[in-house]
Amino acid sequence: MALLSMLSMIPFALNAATAETLAADAAQVVDAVAEASVVAEPTGFGIVLDKIEYFILIPWVYLSIAFMIFGIIYRLVSIYRAPKTPFSLKIYSSKKESPLSAWNDTFMLPQVRRNKPFFWISLMIFHISGVLLILGHLDILPTISILSEDSKHMIGAGLVGVGFTLPLFHFLFRRFKTPIREITVPADFLLIVLVLFLALFGDMISWGNSWTANGFITTKQKFAEYFQALATFNFENPRYYIWSPHYHFLVIHVALANLFFMLVPFSKIVHAFFAMPINKLRRK
Amino acid sequence: MDLQQQYELEKLFKTKLHQAMRFYLETCTHCGLCVDSCHVYNSMPELRYTAVGRSEVVRKIFIKYFKMQGKIAPWLGETMEMDEFVLDKFYEAAFSCTGCRRCMVHCPFGIDTQQIMSIAKLLLVGADKEPKILSMLSDMSINKGEQVEESRAQYAEAIKNIEPEVEAIWPTPPGKKTIPLEVEHADVLYVALSGKHSIISAAAIFNAADINWTLSSFEAVNFGAFLGDPQRTKKIGNRIIAEATRLKVKTVAIVECGTAFRIMKQQFGKLPFEVVTFVELIAKYHQEGKIKLNKVMTEKVTYHDPCQIARNAGVYEAPRYILNQLSDDFVDMIPNREENWCCGGGGGLVAAGDFEFRMKSSKVKADQMKKTGATVVATACENCHSQLHDVCGYYNTNQHVEFISHLAAQGLAK
Ligand code: HEM
Ligand code: SF4
Ligand code: SF4
Repeated sequence: MALLSMLSMIPFALNAATAETLAADAAQVVDAVAEASVVAEPTGFGIVLDKIEYFILIPWVYLSIAFMIFGIIYRLVSIYRAPKTPFSLKIYSSKKESPLSAWNDTFMLPQVRRNKPFFWISLMIFHISGVLLILGHLDILPTISILSEDSKHMIGAGLVGVGFTLPLFHFLFRRFKTPIREITVPADFLLIVLVLFLALFGDMISWGNSWTANGFITTKQKFAEYFQALATFNFENPRYYIWSPHYHFLVIHVALANLFFMLVPFSKIVHAFFAMPINKLRRK
Repeated sequence: MDLQQQYELEKLFKTKLHQAMRFYLETCTHCGLCVDSCHVYNSMPELRYTAVGRSEVVRKIFIKYFKMQGKIAPWLGETMEMDEFVLDKFYEAAFSCTGCRRCMVHCPFGIDTQQIMSIAKLLLVGADKEPKILSMLSDMSINKGEQVEESRAQYAEAIKNIEPEVEAIWPTPPGKKTIPLEVEHADVLYVALSGKHSIISAAAIFNAADINWTLSSFEAVNFGAFLGDPQRTKKIGNRIIAEATRLKVKTVAIVECGTAFRIMKQQFGKLPFEVVTFVELIAKYHQEGKIKLNKVMTEKVTYHDPCQIARNAGVYEAPRYILNQLSDDFVDMIPNREENWCCGGGGGLVAAGDFEFRMKSSKVKADQMKKTGATVVATACENCHSQLHDVCGYYNTNQHVEFISHLAAQGLAK
């Protein structure tokens, strides 16, 4: 709807005066819609839905993050409790090695850059965006101000989300082609699809959220209230303070994120935590 | 396969789960970056000949028997039950892999397919399905260790018989033995192979450099490692360690045999002596002025980096240094050093593999050698030598393969 109202403005853009009037009209329409959808007490099925949405937005977030942290610790401890490897598994580089070589291998993927440059670009954009996304989410908290508190956007103004999303399409589509197709197991597809949808809903509530005539449907300051509530273990129902026409999308985004958190320790995403120790084995 | 045997194999599997192995089995993202690394896949493009294709066979069993995922949602990783079919897959994976670890260079995590294949090999031993020739050769080596005292006189006799061939290359320094045996406090214990070619050139070089050396009573090759049986690997290696310790030598020099060298250098922990490959000693003696080498080579020469000496044990420059002393026409293969293509004969394949497979899987190697335009392919590993010799014949490359030590002995000058 918001997107449509914006697109419909384009033919008139030549005439600045007309465009301005229309923009003002459109803004009124959006305000009216927002007002009409101002939070109402749920009834009927709405009550069940509200309960589910509350569970997703508050308790499940805590549970899934706690599950993730314990899961990762469990995985690491179970590996480090295994007997020490009694010999060296080093690969000898003919180039000069430094104590930082394993770091370089882990974070710059020099071999991938040399052998598969296109995939390397995708991997780099994806992972850097991933790190920026983590920072971007933390930055929403009022106590952390990487960008100023009254900035409208997350870090990257939506571009970071796109940088995270596009490579996922690449990761997905390359799995349809031989020989990657044959080495792919169902878990690989499911994980990419989960992360892709997580990212797409994220894009929708951050970038898509701004495609309205009068700015944001839900402002960053509103999201900050929700994050603050999570950080202070205030168990109020977020529906009452961040309601907007995008509320359900937010809920879906958070639900997918919760699933993702719970999968982190028990899917191949553990590579995030294993990449460094395993890369060290090759260098020592 | 009955439950009891499944249980036994599971127990055997568990003995391999040290920290590094756990990381290797639990980290692969199925990114496929190792696919193009394998010479076998590049010569015969089938999934089962990729690094990830091979390790997945083992990984699926690992997930099934050791991870929760295998218990509650085996379909997620398409896991498999341990049965005869899986053992056949293990065989196909492990004995088509030369353990060259080229894939490990390209994997973003550095997953070691050779290590993962060592699980498959061990389970095959456990199920009595290993290539019998390898277990037989391993047991012969172990027996030899146990009966060394009884066979000592016979061995000395055999060694005596080859001394004239050494003297024909280089006169023995006055007051010294041509091939010394059982010398305590020797500077170098040289561990050769059973073929006399592995002794003659080396003896001539030691004598030319006037080194206080002694010949080991054992052959260096470790069939236990090819077989993938850690106990036999240990027993075979321990014979040499015991000898070196008894003789109190400073350095153990391993003949041109990649696996023997790497196993001794990397897998036996800290030892009371230094371990080198003989090629390093030749370069060292030349650099120290103990030997002189003439540029005797008239043909263009290239060098094949044996995986277990180069990528997996770090000896890159010594052989090139020697070849540059012997020739004005040395050219590197492309790619080379840690990126070099495996000869296709490692991991016990020369001894146990089928000839057709060994040749077909070495097509990239043949192409790479041909492209150099060299007529001599030098190398520093017995296995590589045998394999490359066959490859040159099979693909008509018009090249001949030579040991570095042999070329150096030919070039010895006053
Ligand atoms: C901040 C920590 C990290 C996170 C959260 C993370 C997360 C992810 C995710 C979600 C994917 C997509 C999964 C897929 O394609 O199925 C992925 C793919 C990948 N990551 Fe990471 N990663 C992290 C760190 C690393 C590091 C340090 C490396 C370096 C070795 C790495 C190497 C890869 C590779 C090679 C892929 C491609 C997998 C494929 O082809 O599907 N990651 N990562
Ligand atoms: S170790 Fe060598 S032979 Fe084995 S999978 Fe890797 S590249 Fe191929
Ligand atoms: S390159 Fe490494 S992580 Fe990627 S598929 Fe191969 S073994 Fe797995």
